[in-house]
Amino acid sequence: MSNRVRYYRIIASLVCITVLSACGSTPPAPELPKIPPVGDVTLLQGEQATQAYQQLDLGIVVFNVETPAAQSTVPGSSLYQEIAEKEAHYLPYVLRNILVASDQWGVVRVLPEADPSVDLTLQGTLLESSGLNLQLHLLATDSTGREWINKTYRDETSFADYPGPDPFLRGVSRDEELLAELAEAEDPFVDIYRQIANDLLLFRNTFTQQQIDNISLVSQMRYAADLSPQTFDRTLEQGPDGLWRVVTLLAEDDPMLRRVEDIKLRHHLFIDTIDEYYESLYQEMQPSYALWRRYSRDQALEDRSEVRREFRNDVGSSSFTALSQSYNRYMWAKLFEQEFTALAAGFNNEVAPAILELNRLVHGLTGSVDEQYTQWRDILRQIFELETGL
Amino acid sequence: MPGNPPPYRPDFSGSWEKDFQRSDRWDEELNRQIEQILQAQTQASNPQSNLLRPTMQLGNVPRGRPAELVDLARLAELISRQNVIDITQTAEEVFVRRQGDAALICGTRQNVMQSFSSPYGNEVCGWEREQLVFRISLPEGVDILHRFSVSPDAQWMNLLTSISRRGSTPFNLIQVYRRFDLPPDAYNCVQTLSRGRVCSATGAPGEQ
Repeated sequence: MSNRVRYYRIIASLVCITVLSACGSTPPAPELPKIPPVGDVTLLQGEQATQAYQQLDLGIVVFNVETPAAQSTVPGSSLYQEIAEKEAHYLPYVLRNILVASDQWGVVRVLPEADPSVDLTLQGTLLESSGLNLQLHLLATDSTGREWINKTYRDETSFADYPGPDPFLRGVSRDEELLAELAEAEDPFVDIYRQIANDLLLFRNTFTQQQIDNISLVSQMRYAADLSPQTFDRTLEQGPDGLWRVVTLLAEDDPMLRRVEDIKLRHHLFIDTIDEYYESLYQEMQPSYALWRRYSRDQALEDRSEVRREFRNDVGSSSFTALSQSYNRYMWAKLFEQEFTALAAGFNNEVAPAILELNRLVHGLTGSVDEQYTQWRDILRQIFELETGL
Repeated sequence: MPGNPPPYRPDFSGSWEKDFQRSDRWDEELNRQIEQILQAQTQASNPQSNLLRPTMQLGNVPRGRPAELVDLARLAELISRQNVIDITQTAEEVFVRRQGDAALICGTRQNVMQSFSSPYGNEVCGWEREQLVFRISLPEGVDILHRFSVSPDAQWMNLLTSISRRGSTPFNLIQVYRRFDLPPDAYNCVQTLSRGRVCSATGAPGEQ
């Protein structure tokens, strides 16, 4: 019997011991306002080729993390914080894939930070994440500063969202098969991303072509102003409504604007590369993360188990048997939680090489992917200054 | 700006084996404590009868507080059976592994913290002077206190386990452990999610 099979059997046997069913402290129970789940959502897809004017470029910034695990000081909670940070890199890519699948947008990229060259920036904050619940806040703002979405989404999984046999029978399933099934399965929280994509689309459909064109124009000039504020700041103005608008139009063949476009092209090559890093991370993490979320769902469900009621019937008995049973319940609950923590550590260990790869040195640049991004923007600014003599 | 220096914590790390000679025997301790209770009861009801000192044996326990003490003593015996305790301590936390029981884990930075919470019992841990303390509260009103202390030469460790129920007289059991050295581990193992524990021989070719 392989170590892996033995491992799963141990986990399965732990799960099967119903007295150990409630493990409430890891990660600490979230105290978030109850938001109704998005339910089953069908992704609105383009029935015909999207009009060019509809093809706004989207940038999804790596999510912030505000989960209770990230704020907890309970021993072992750092593991869950680590997982949340990995999710913050992984989940934006799931959203990206859904937005690409909707076929309603231009380029959709995952970025380490907000980028002035994109038309619409999506910034997410992860509020709760387990195999059972996902809650995130999304802020979508276009380059003019207009908020498209400022909303919290929640999705709850059902058992049907996860492939493989019933968790109580998992000990007799072949783990390789389960892993393969999980790797190919749709994300269990796909509805939340579909809902976000649909909300964005519905908002965009309220715009006229002129308004869409204006967003693209403002993006262009905001990127130019980011490269060379002294040259391009004058082309933009913030209105009383707080929205940016272009006040001075440059000729399409303006040499300065052409240089900006050249630099923007190089910038986009770079952020495409960064987006590919996130794709690699997504590919690397996906099977382990799917398995992790499935365990996480089992654990969350165990927490809700009815066995508590059964247990309460015993309260009041004073015999040694009752006391030892009570201690054993506590002990098994804690053992179960410690096994779950070991799984969390296992997940972090397994994904660590992919994160390292993400932050690997890029030619001539150093530091994390975020730092490299900042360095690259500085380099482009310097190139622009050299080329234009500004 | 540098942060506050971490508070001083005694080092419990290492492997510890029970010294049976120096540890309390739970049945002797039970008899001793029952005798004390009965003596106190007798004195309270009849101050003249302090010459009649009843001898209490297991299986012949009157109802009331001594009966409850027997239950608590047996529970103390149940949860103090480990002959070996293995402790890992870092700047962040102390991890007490016990055979056949869940590990006790406590942070080292804070003085008091909740270390486990479930409908089946809560655990709070912390540091009192140089002692590491875990307090487990079971739903029936049973409180279990584990108090670890280490000798100045770090060769001996005392573990006081104290169990009470709804404020009753606690049953105390002191276990004494002696430090011993485990042979170095031949394998270096890393836990992974999908492949279980992945081990390599320490000192294998190519390993630094």
